[in-house]
Amino acid sequence: MGDAKDKTGIGNLDSPDLPFDYGKREYGTVPLDHGNRAPFQWVSEVSYKNVHRIVVRGYDTTELMEEGYGVPDVLFVIYQSRIPLEEESKLLDYVMIMALEDGLSAPAAISRIVAQSKTFLTQAAGASILAFGHAYGAYVAFGARLKTYLEEGKKEGKSLAEVAELIVRENLDDEALGVSELMLKDPAAKRMIARAEKLGLAGEYIALTKEITKAAQKISSKPVDLDMLGATGATMMDLGFTPEAIWGIMACTRAIAAGAHFIEEVERVPYSRTGQMLTPREDYDGPEDREVPDLGDRAKNAKSAQTKTVDEWKKAFDERKLVYGSGYSIMEETEDPSEKTGIKKVGRYAPQHQNI
Amino acid sequence: MNREPFFRRKTSLSYKTEEQTVLRGYNLSDIAEKGYSFSDALFVLFQDRIPTENEAKMLNYEMGVFIEHSMSPSAVSATGVAMGRPNLPATVAASVSTFGGVHGPGAAHGYMMNKYLDRAYDEGKSIDEVGKLLVDEYTDNEQPVMGMGQPQHIDSDPRAYPIHLKQEELGVGGVYLELQRAVEKYFHARRKKEGRSYVGVNVVGSGNTALCDIGFAPNAAWCIGSVCRGFSCAAHALFNMKKGRAWGASRSEPMVQVLDLSMIKYIGPADRKVPKQEERQEYAMKQKEEGEYKKWVI
Repeated sequence: MGDAKDKTGIGNLDSPDLPFDYGKREYGTVPLDHGNRAPFQWVSEVSYKNVHRIVVRGYDTTELMEEGYGVPDVLFVIYQSRIPLEEESKLLDYVMIMALEDGLSAPAAISRIVAQSKTFLTQAAGASILAFGHAYGAYVAFGARLKTYLEEGKKEGKSLAEVAELIVRENLDDEALGVSELMLKDPAAKRMIARAEKLGLAGEYIALTKEITKAAQKISSKPVDLDMLGATGATMMDLGFTPEAIWGIMACTRAIAAGAHFIEEVERVPYSRTGQMLTPREDYDGPEDREVPDLGDRAKNAKSAQTKTVDEWKKAFDERKLVYGSGYSIMEETEDPSEKTGIKKVGRYAPQHQNI
Repeated sequence: MNREPFFRRKTSLSYKTEEQTVLRGYNLSDIAEKGYSFSDALFVLFQDRIPTENEAKMLNYEMGVFIEHSMSPSAVSATGVAMGRPNLPATVAASVSTFGGVHGPGAAHGYMMNKYLDRAYDEGKSIDEVGKLLVDEYTDNEQPVMGMGQPQHIDSDPRAYPIHLKQEELGVGGVYLELQRAVEKYFHARRKKEGRSYVGVNVVGSGNTALCDIGFAPNAAWCIGSVCRGFSCAAHALFNMKKGRAWGASRSEPMVQVLDLSMIKYIGPADRKVPKQEERQEYAMKQKEEGEYKKWVI
């Protein structure tokens, strides 16, 4: 480490354990990299613009619309870099109508809650998109699973029925199966598949999803049928969209309706002020009300978290699982199946908390 | 399975039962089955009505030209958020949330139009007269006239004027288009008279005018425009996730990355020593008294 004159005299910053000499750290910013590397530019293969044009995948956007193309067509251009067949465009239009509204489910609820705070509409619409995860709006989880099993199945020479049965046996109760008890009385999901078939656009993902439905109906102990996640996911994949693209398109589609929920909430419900909302005592099941100990008695009342042996750690860990809100009962059990996104894991594992 | 809503609300928008999802009285699946378009469905959602064919075409056109705008605040934010590799929806949410007072201020433009149309009604003025009044009042007060000017498309936004023309071609122009045209006429005339540079109409000025004339309230129009942009921003985020580098600071890339340390230009207070705790009170008091810090307060 450096000479005495380089000592900082600040806290632990003169420790020899540090990876470099903190007393010799430079001030000032890093100079621009002249000559060695190209200067920064926004790199995109999706679009560019200049003073007079906006160009997406090579097509001028105004020219696309002047030629009579529609929003679904533009989505094919953006995500797939191609002009779709008229039938494909019609089917995407159909899917987007079905994705537009879902009553007071999570996106609308979030939008309304944000609306109560007196915000811009865009904050609420943006927040509604965050509701799309791996259970609600689980398009990426659904699609990635189909792709993975199908690819593996093909390598192993399995039939679609065999792949479907494997998917069901390994994922029967998963939120992203696409088959559930949600649409036993509502024919909308099956109508979407029928529309895809009528337009001649049903491919292997719809075929696989139909097999999954059959397998689930055979294996499940309760009545199940194709749900909107399965119908939408399979149809969109047969239209050539990746699971990630489907996630984005569906979330945005719903966010438009979430904006309408924002507007209605503002129109019909007063704003909510800081501190206004009460939480009923009867909904509370934490520790009984207790006196805050005097600060001088901290040592008597404080509990240390450190454990010194694995046995102690395990015991403490299990005890902490019983504390709701501590995070100890959440197990990282589910990968984000998105291609090339962060491997964020979410889930829960303490059996005693299954009904949280 | 619990299927109760998160909370209860009286709503005129929709309901959902085990049998169907109903939007403003129409079974959503029937809307799709009968061949209506997504644009049609948005009229049902926001306006409780089936639109004319040309109104639906106008909405489709407006959304289509607005979806993609390359590197704007929305796409940049989606890309920036994607660098941390969160779940995709976080990037799209960020992009939609960028729409505020400057980036695509559709609601503000709509409210401005409504305010001056109200004045035409209350004060017995013509639309042309309130158009001039609007330009003069905003300019005199050094306020930007909503719908005019775009920092990148300096000769007028390439999407903007064609939207006006499309509105006229489809026969869906109304009082809003008349007012917007008047605003543009007087805006250009005043700037010319004052020797100032040409500032063209932007996509909010023309697109939002069209949306107003086909019946969308300012916030509904804003919603459609800003959320629509999310469609392309998701693609920009995915491009970064699938084909770009996470974090945006790699030194092994042939091009300097956006978060390379050399991208930082610091213009804040000069480097200074952290005061010792024993000097703290005296140091802090002096800082407060001298008040130099106030110029850095944000």
